[in-house]
Amino acid sequence: MQLNNKSSVRAALAAATCTVLSHPLQAAQSSDGWDVKGGLLYYSEADRVTVIAPAISASKTTEAGDKLTFRAIYDSLTGASPNGATPTNTPQTFTSPSGQSTYTTPAGETPMRDLTDVRIAVGLDWEHELSRLVRNAMSGNFSAERDYLSLSVSDTLSKDYNNRMTTLTAGVGLTLDVVKPEGGAPVGLQLINAPATGELEDDNQKTAVDVLFGVTQILNRSTLTQLNYSHTTSSGYLTEPYKILSVIDPLTGETVPDPSPTAPANTYLYRYEKRPDTRNSDSLYWKLQHQLTEDVIYFSYRYFQDDWGIRSHTMDLKYRYELAGGRYLQPHYRQYQQTAADFYRHSLVDNMPLPEFASADLRLGEMTSNTVGLKFGMPLQDGEFSILVEKMTQTGESHPADAIGIQRNYDLYPTLDATIVQIGYRTVF
Amino acid sequence: MNLTLDQSPCGSYWTGRFSAMASPCEVLLELKDRAQAQHLLQQVAEETWRIEKKFSRYRQDNLIHHINHSDGQPLEVDEETTLLLNYADQCFQLSDGLFDITAGVLRRIWSFQPGATPPDKNQVRECLKHIGWSKVTWEPPHLTLPPGMEIDLGGIGKEYAVDKAAQWLSQTTEASFVLNFGGDLYVNKPLSNGQPWHIAIDDPAATGVRQAGQITVAHGGIATSGDARRFLLHQGKRYGHILNPRTGYPIKNAPRSVTVIAGTCLEAGMLATFAMLQGADARQFLEAQEVPFWIIE
Repeated sequence: MQLNNKSSVRAALAAATCTVLSHPLQAAQSSDGWDVKGGLLYYSEADRVTVIAPAISASKTTEAGDKLTFRAIYDSLTGASPNGATPTNTPQTFTSPSGQSTYTTPAGETPMRDLTDVRIAVGLDWEHELSRLVRNAMSGNFSAERDYLSLSVSDTLSKDYNNRMTTLTAGVGLTLDVVKPEGGAPVGLQLINAPATGELEDDNQKTAVDVLFGVTQILNRSTLTQLNYSHTTSSGYLTEPYKILSVIDPLTGETVPDPSPTAPANTYLYRYEKRPDTRNSDSLYWKLQHQLTEDVIYFSYRYFQDDWGIRSHTMDLKYRYELAGGRYLQPHYRQYQQTAADFYRHSLVDNMPLPEFASADLRLGEMTSNTVGLKFGMPLQDGEFSILVEKMTQTGESHPADAIGIQRNYDLYPTLDATIVQIGYRTVF
Repeated sequence: MNLTLDQSPCGSYWTGRFSAMASPCEVLLELKDRAQAQHLLQQVAEETWRIEKKFSRYRQDNLIHHINHSDGQPLEVDEETTLLLNYADQCFQLSDGLFDITAGVLRRIWSFQPGATPPDKNQVRECLKHIGWSKVTWEPPHLTLPPGMEIDLGGIGKEYAVDKAAQWLSQTTEASFVLNFGGDLYVNKPLSNGQPWHIAIDDPAATGVRQAGQITVAHGGIATSGDARRFLLHQGKRYGHILNPRTGYPIKNAPRSVTVIAGTCLEAGMLATFAMLQGADARQFLEAQEVPFWIIE
């Protein structure tokens, strides 16, 4: 031993010890057991749709370091959703897509179509270490509801560089959806009560290809940042088969009555919506995560644009406030803003040339949404329990400049208020 | 894999127990809630068993076994193993070759069981051919071990497990805790009333039966090297069980046991080991390190 320099031994040893302990802690879950997460989501829009969705996932890390995750979710949706028609000064009667039933909206109110549906989705993820620094993650998903099937697969490769301080990620995903609208897919922009002149199709497909590139950088012991770029190309049947647009009088702004002599009372003219059959979108996502002494701040920003004319900004801020005994409180604020799609319009004007594409789907309109929420989490024996409560408010152009006549009296973009409650439980079997 | 959890008589802390690395392991948690204590204990035990499984020399399904049976072929090791081997390499350099993870093969010729005899010179000379970290090619993360050689991380594994468990616990709970894995300890902070923990030091002549003294610790790692019951008496000569990997013979005049307090359990353990390897100079060495220590000569 370096006897002439004995006191330096301790300093050198302390430094060496610090390095050996720098290896990241293994995930707390046991590799022998199944890490099981159960959750219940309750999402309720005032006067509109309510969704109750129990979900479960189970993951296991194998001896070889592979991680397998099975996921299943069951959604049950009830309520009503705006059908695209605008309010007018008389009651409006609509026929359901199958022609079997009708519903009437009182004068001055936003027409809503009743909805009930269930959706079952299952997924499987497989994460595999190809070599010491390269990981591959494959994922497959399938979901089914009454009139919609969706199948998707994706593959993501990540490689660590720079002493694992930098991770580069590249991924590709494919989605195939089959839409089977009730009563067949309508012909875009055709009057809804007119006999179909185009061909009604039962199976309408849409496909999407996603590519993603990302870089994650550990800046220091407490700060991590991530930048992702993704591009999505969708093609096929991108229209919403049940959404319609009112045909309004160019002077009065009233919805034009159905001129057919056989038309029942309170029936008016509406056209089916029509969207382009391709959509290209780009999204840039930036995340910053910083740990203070104990608390953690999460910030993210996303910019999105597509060739339908939608540009959006999403800002998301969370603060994890550590309480005693592993409990935590996490306030959350999110702001989302988007511009309208080029073909978004609240209604169509009678006797004007038809546009190539048109939709009154509020989700394609200009809007702002604000979400505030609070999450509480606590450790349990062998697991964790959490509850999240959020309020979301979405507002749009209620009184657009191009409203005509009586339309100015009505709210053409009713505010949406939603309550979200999510309960989560995690345990190891 | 058994876990037990008991509340202290005064109700102020929980004691969890499990067994790992051939030692009784204790986790003392100053907590009220049983469920939380149970959760923390479970996670600590899982992490400890993980480390034991990964680095034990006695298993046939881990990397250490692969390395020890690599027959001169280079092997790529994972990141955690890389860090531990780097640490062992630094300890080898710092101790001028006295701390050597390849020295384990000496146990084949040295037995400290009652009635055993010391090996003869030829046996020692033969054995020394298979010892020496400097004969190993270590180009992280690639390790090439010459045939016939073995590595044994037993000299640092338990202290490493204590520190990793302590690291995880401090990130997970604010409670004051003590980890005691067979005499290698870590204390994160004083009790909530501000008092330090009282730790009993075993009398090495009667481990687990008689206490040689009590120390108070508010923070840090504590480790003991030495076991007074393990020595060999042959023809009136006493051979201690701390072996010098350079000579193949026990270190002369080593203390019976050395206990050190340092920032981490790994550091305390290595300082105690280094002190033992100094033989008669153990005390002088520890004084120069300016750490709290106890020597039983």
